[in-house]
Amino acid sequence: MLNEKKVILMTKMASYEDTEAKKNGAIGRYFRSDYIGFQVLKAIISATIACMIVGGMFILYDLENILENLYEMDLLLIAKRALFIYIVVVVVYALISYAVYSHRYSRARRKQKIYAHYLKQLGVMYDKKK
Amino acid sequence: MRELLVVREHIKHFYAKFEVYVTPLLKFILAFVALVMIKNNVGYFPRLNSMAIVLIIALMCSFLPQNFIVFFSAAFSVLHLYKLSYEVAIVAVCVYLLLFLMYLRFSPRDTIVVVLTPVCFALNIPYLMPLVAGLVGTPTSIVSVCCGAIVYYLLSFISGNAGSMLALGEDGSLAKLRYVIDGMMDHKEMLTMLLAISVTVIVVYLIRRLSIDYAWSFAIGIGALMNIVLLLLGDVVYYTNVSIFGVFFGSIVAVLLAMVLQFFVFDVDYSRTEKVQFEDDDYYYYVKAVPKNKAGDIGKKAKKAVVKPKIDDDEDEDEDDDDEDDDVRIVRRTQTATRMQTTPRTTQGSVRPVAGSTRTPVSRPQSTANRQTVRPTTATNATRHSSSSSTTTPQ
Repeated sequence: MLNEKKVILMTKMASYEDTEAKKNGAIGRYFRSDYIGFQVLKAIISATIACMIVGGMFILYDLENILENLYEMDLLLIAKRALFIYIVVVVVYALISYAVYSHRYSRARRKQKIYAHYLKQLGVMYDKKK
Repeated sequence: MRELLVVREHIKHFYAKFEVYVTPLLKFILAFVALVMIKNNVGYFPRLNSMAIVLIIALMCSFLPQNFIVFFSAAFSVLHLYKLSYEVAIVAVCVYLLLFLMYLRFSPRDTIVVVLTPVCFALNIPYLMPLVAGLVGTPTSIVSVCCGAIVYYLLSFISGNAGSMLALGEDGSLAKLRYVIDGMMDHKEMLTMLLAISVTVIVVYLIRRLSIDYAWSFAIGIGALMNIVLLLLGDVVYYTNVSIFGVFFGSIVAVLLAMVLQFFVFDVDYSRTEKVQFEDDDYYYYVKAVPKNKAGDIGKKAKKAVVKPKIDDDEDEDEDDDDEDDDVRIVRRTQTATRMQTTPRTTQGSVRPVAGSTRTPVSRPQSTANRQTVRPTTATNATRHSSSSSTTTPQ
């Protein structure tokens, strides 16, 4: 016969399996520090590429002026400023990534725990039936 | 109104039944519209302007994950711009890469907004997306909508100034690049629009989350007004030359479409709002339950599906088994959208951890008529109250 509680429980579990289980499972395979560290590393690489793109665009934009005044420029000072901006961008982006992926990891783990709890409840229901 | 509710239920049932076909169809339509709009705006590559190619790509998009719509749209626009001038294509590629690296990597689901926003701009309803993002998204949706707006203004600027760029000739490569970058950096209309989008999304989001009646309607109205005011202010300060008639008309259409969205996503009956409070081991709950508007006809149809209960002669079984085997009853329930405010309860001198200010309850359908036991908050015994009791019709 139909067991309403069991149907509700299994529907919730099926819904979770269809939507988030795969993604959360992939996240859950990592330790917290490994997952966040890996994502932050990817964020740093992304930020570095983004900085290179912006830097390249800036050089192209002002190329004529740069070529004309190349020997009069204080290249060391420019490099220091560029490095400072790069570090600021990377640090800010890494911090944002850290916050986002910490939250995602916690959420994934929480949902996995809820799913495990549902599984346990379902097991109890089957045991009672026996 | 009742007919509308019935129509909505039918649409939902239709979508649920034919989701396998409807979703690819919607993806096909979106990809087709996006590609056609790119073709009409920056269609400099004659071979890509062929409708057969557009149809084939749109058809491919209908079966691929939705992010491919973004990928093909970006690739299409870059190829068209490359035919115009490779310097312009470089700028476009850089903008797309920056958008992808800095934001879209975080939220791949939001990439669809980057396509929808330019489409809305091209359809002269750019004010719709901030309202939609505020209603169904989060504040981070600002970035997605702004990315879409930047893409639109980039393509629009290039198509509007293609003649000037071509006039610079092949020797003016750097001049072309500088022309595009300067044009985008000094695009007052774009900057005003980005500001208006950001403020509108935040205002709509904050208002629709308030625990007040008609929060969504207020959010739509106030958000649209805020958008209009900011755009007109931008016009006064930066001379952006926005059409006042266009802003008003576009906002009205956007509000109407947002109300259609509200009808499908958050249609509730505030006249039947119930406020209850109860407690469990850890918290006092102050619950405001607002029933959803449902079409009665659909419910009546469901009522006909009677399942004969199994008669169990064994009376020694545990009481819990009653819930499992004997409670096969047709229960017509009114689903409720609830918002729960939780207050942590102090037990034996120790303070329990504080929950989030807002807690969304487990989506268990309940009857509004007889939902749960209501206990005064002064009770000392920490008793877990079942919230699952509901109106049942014994067979």
